[in-house]
Amino acid sequence: MSSTRMELVCPAGTPATLRAAVQAGADAVYCGFRDETNARNFPGLNFSTEEMAEGVRFAHAHGSKVLVAINTFGRVGSVDRWRKAADAAVGCGADAIIAADIAVLDHVASNHKQIRLHLSVQAAAATPEAIGFYAETFGVRRVVLPRVLSIQEVATLNREIRVETEAFVFGGLCVMTEGRCYLSSYATGKSPNLNGVCSPPEMVSYEEDIDGTVARLCGFTIDRYAPGAPVGYPTLCKGRFKAGDKTSYLFEDPVSLNAGSMIAGLKAAGVTALKIEGRQRGKGYVTEVVRAFRKAVDAVEQGSDGIEIDRILAGQSEGGRQTTGAYKKSWR
Amino acid sequence: MTLEATEGRLPPFARQLCPVVAGLPLGPMLTLSLRSLARQRPGLFERLGEHRSVRYFVDPVDLAFAFTIIPDGMRSVVRVVRKEQTATSSVVVRGPLLMLLGLLDGTLDGDALFFNRVISVSGSTEAVLALRNTIEDAELLPADLLGLSGALARAANAGILGGLDAMRRLAASAKPGPSQEKS
Repeated sequence: MSSTRMELVCPAGTPATLRAAVQAGADAVYCGFRDETNARNFPGLNFSTEEMAEGVRFAHAHGSKVLVAINTFGRVGSVDRWRKAADAAVGCGADAIIAADIAVLDHVASNHKQIRLHLSVQAAAATPEAIGFYAETFGVRRVVLPRVLSIQEVATLNREIRVETEAFVFGGLCVMTEGRCYLSSYATGKSPNLNGVCSPPEMVSYEEDIDGTVARLCGFTIDRYAPGAPVGYPTLCKGRFKAGDKTSYLFEDPVSLNAGSMIAGLKAAGVTALKIEGRQRGKGYVTEVVRAFRKAVDAVEQGSDGIEIDRILAGQSEGGRQTTGAYKKSWR
Repeated sequence: MTLEATEGRLPPFARQLCPVVAGLPLGPMLTLSLRSLARQRPGLFERLGEHRSVRYFVDPVDLAFAFTIIPDGMRSVVRVVRKEQTATSSVVVRGPLLMLLGLLDGTLDGDALFFNRVISVSGSTEAVLALRNTIEDAELLPADLLGLSGALARAANAGILGGLDAMRRLAASAKPGPSQEKS
């Protein structure tokens, strides 16, 4: 088992949420600028440069770090926006930049050698060869692992690489290998990888009729809910469709990852940091989830088996349902 | 606070006050409050971006009237309107008053209220998200909306938040059955 203390990395979509995460016990907070350079480019979300600088000051004053996500992919003719975002993150005093695009990685490695580089999950690096490339070429110090590996695969990977790994432990799940998903773009012309938005809200609509609520994305019906039934945000991967005679979630059930019961296992597998998903979520979610994981991580670090946090966090999961995802691959 | 414990509508005694409240010049008072807030915290409205000129229709379902709000900083306008006057608004938000106030003071999570159908939203999802994220970051207290500061602000915050909390507990303990829902 790794002897170093695992780091708890928590989401922040706004300055208020950053403060909430820090006060709830985050070792590090990840956030992005208010533009398409980060993978959560939604209206009203994210940080101006001034807010980022103030957020870094607040986090540092409370012993926490700030990791800035510049993790979408630049486009021909507009890569400068991504470079400027990296420069701004350094100027704000951030502790690390999380990136996936090799143009951004190269810019940071060449011009800002003092700041740590973390490889975003958007890079989908899940083999020793891929991770080795990023580490040797750009000096990447940590890799955020795609949510497609079993805990045994994580352990094997960690034995074969020389950089830290960060593993998701709670929040929304993507069924695709991250950084390769263009489902949203088929319906809307925009994707999380290029524009920072999966199901852009300007193309989302909810309509009420006598049969309940219809959730649409760019005119396509993604799901239909009975009157009074809980609704969800219409993403194509979690839509309910009819194929043959059967209506079902064709790609992925709307469940959330909760690996709270696997913290000791992830530590034993050599994971350095545990990541909570949810930069779109509010202070209430962040406070509750971070507090629960803070207790659980501290318990594991003190040698106990951890606390039972599944029940505490059930209300914060999408659809109220949870899974340990690929960490326990029961289908194999 | 769990969602279930706060689903109730206004307690009966509070609903009886509604005709009295409706007689007050609520629109002008709330307009002044929003503009006062914009004067104190101009950055707050920047988060709305292009959506600050959107007209939001907010319908507290346990009141006899609704509001339209244009949250445009010093040009903000709040009007008291009839419940059917939704035509000119880009967004319609409906829910029990205590739930809507819980969103303002950050006691409640907007996503949880929406996905569990405690509040309903229709119209521009983009504008709703912008408003939700702006309110989430604002960490508003009653004194901010009333333009108060110092000891007066502390007293107002304690009194109003305490009162809201008491009403939520009352509402939860007197949660109506299905037959009472339509009354």
